[in-house]
Amino acid sequence: MTDPANDPVLDATRSALDGPGASPADDAAGHPSALLHVNDVRKVYGSGHTEVVAVSDATMAVDEGEFVALLGPSGSGKTTLISIIGGLLAPSSGRVTVGDVDVTAMNKKELTAFRAERVGFVFQSANLVPFLTARENLLFVSSLVKGISRTQANERADQLLSELGLSARAKNLPEQLSGGERQRVAIGRALMNDPDLVLVDEPTAALDTAMGRQVVELLRREIKARGKTGIMVTHDLRMVEYTDRVFEILDGHLTHVEQPSAIGH
Amino acid sequence: MLALNEIRRGKGRFAAIVSALSLIVFLVLVLGALADGLFFGATGAVRNTSATGYVFASDAEGSLVRSRLPVSDVEKVAAAPGVEQAGPVGVLLTGGVGPDGPIDLAVFGIDPGGPGSPTAVEGTLPTEPGTAAVDVALRDAGVTLGSEVSVGDVSATVVGFTADSEYQLQPTLWTGVETWRSMRDAVRPELRGQTDVINSVAIVTAPDADLGAIAAAVPDTTVLTAAETGLAIPGVEQQSSTLNSIIYTTLAVAGLVVALFFALLVLEKRELFAALKALGASTGRLGRGVILQALIASALGVVIGAVVARLFDLVIPPEVPTLFRTETLLTIAVFTLVAGVVGAMFSLRRIAKIDPATAIGGAL
Repeated sequence: MTDPANDPVLDATRSALDGPGASPADDAAGHPSALLHVNDVRKVYGSGHTEVVAVSDATMAVDEGEFVALLGPSGSGKTTLISIIGGLLAPSSGRVTVGDVDVTAMNKKELTAFRAERVGFVFQSANLVPFLTARENLLFVSSLVKGISRTQANERADQLLSELGLSARAKNLPEQLSGGERQRVAIGRALMNDPDLVLVDEPTAALDTAMGRQVVELLRREIKARGKTGIMVTHDLRMVEYTDRVFEILDGHLTHVEQPSAIGH
Repeated sequence: MLALNEIRRGKGRFAAIVSALSLIVFLVLVLGALADGLFFGATGAVRNTSATGYVFASDAEGSLVRSRLPVSDVEKVAAAPGVEQAGPVGVLLTGGVGPDGPIDLAVFGIDPGGPGSPTAVEGTLPTEPGTAAVDVALRDAGVTLGSEVSVGDVSATVVGFTADSEYQLQPTLWTGVETWRSMRDAVRPELRGQTDVINSVAIVTAPDADLGAIAAAVPDTTVLTAAETGLAIPGVEQQSSTLNSIIYTTLAVAGLVVALFFALLVLEKRELFAALKALGASTGRLGRGVILQALIASALGVVIGAVVARLFDLVIPPEVPTLFRTETLLTIAVFTLVAGVVGAMFSLRRIAKIDPATAIGGAL
């Protein structure tokens, strides 16, 4: 048995420091027409002596149809960065654009609508509505967007559930589902409103390895099949093989962009 | 969708709040029925007649029993500006004897059919001396049409019934001034010979009449509206205000109960609400759901509380003066719904403060 501190598979910082990849800022310059642009985003909590820099001058670009990982240990700022990208947090400075929309220029109300219409979230613990069935959990998010007919929503929910292998579980409440099934419902919910961006936060945190792989594999398949742009926050090196590129973050700095094959194997 | 399904799939917890509200509504409805019963039973004889006002001796403080006026004032009052009709009123609170034995009585001597006269709900108003109409409450004492009711050695034949015409919770007997005076003389020997004394003058006024001007036209009198006359009966106003303050305090408690319940529910769902906000649910949307739930819980509480109160009414002893009125039920229903909504609104601030960013990651 190896000492976990020296195990490269569990230590995300090691490969990040050793990796041969380019810096994300240089990489971003090579993707001028990317769907997502993060430019010099900085997030500072507190002030003076208690000042904490959670994200420091992050610049990155993700192309449409890409599924990338944001890899870093806990406390690296990856959660803060993805929250800013998803319109949940306002950066202290810098700019985030999705397509031609400047996320950082929106007010609270516009951000709520932006998240409902253009972003799909998958949370660490699925966070499904406990008193709605799997199918109703999908339909609920479609009710947050104007102009989706009921028939349209029903069809889409049924199709997603079937793709996710959940047709037989559609009428089950979350408490009747396994952890993996719940996370699959959460994936369906994230895709329900046909978003541009799918943001995934540690989807395997509450799952065992086999189940985790299954969920991430499914996630990749759905994102790819629909041509969505996906960003998955993870500290788990085993999950990056399902992504196209890996952005590494450490102490608030985006350090490298790697090919998944360059990491942890 | 969210709100209704939560109730449907979490019946147990909502049953708790609905039961609490039902009990409160039940309590308030019974108190309301008691307040109405006391008020209506005390004031019917002056509230539910053709009179729009009463003229009192100025030293009587609006009390029919205490007031003494010469019978000649009837004509003076009738001639006063704004008075369309005027008629004498004599009052005697006493005991009498009915078919089944002794009864409490408030004897009113009036001009039957004239100002201050009730209407007959069965039979007719008395036309001859020695006849009377009595309040339907006396049916419980065995009184029927044709019964004899006597006060002292003077008796009257019942020719009709009146309703909602009690005075100070005593059943009334309505007769002409002459018969009233014989009854008064029979039990109050000291008043014998005062043939020109009455207690009050009942008036029907023009809509724009100035009561002050009427009082000014007849020396040493004051004039009250019929409603004021009811409230001037000793204890009536105090009783109403005491019971009403208990009722409204209890309804405020209902609001607090709802506020606490939903505060707990929101606290418990903080994580879920953060996730839903992250997914694009607005505070308004989540808040409306909570208010809808409060409305449903309050409405169910009103319905169940009302049904239980009506069932309870069947077992209340008839001596207890309760009166279940639709108006009071509606008022209490509206207040309960308002209390529920206002209580739930306290949770809105809590919902607004939930930060969607906490849905992602654990700590910072």
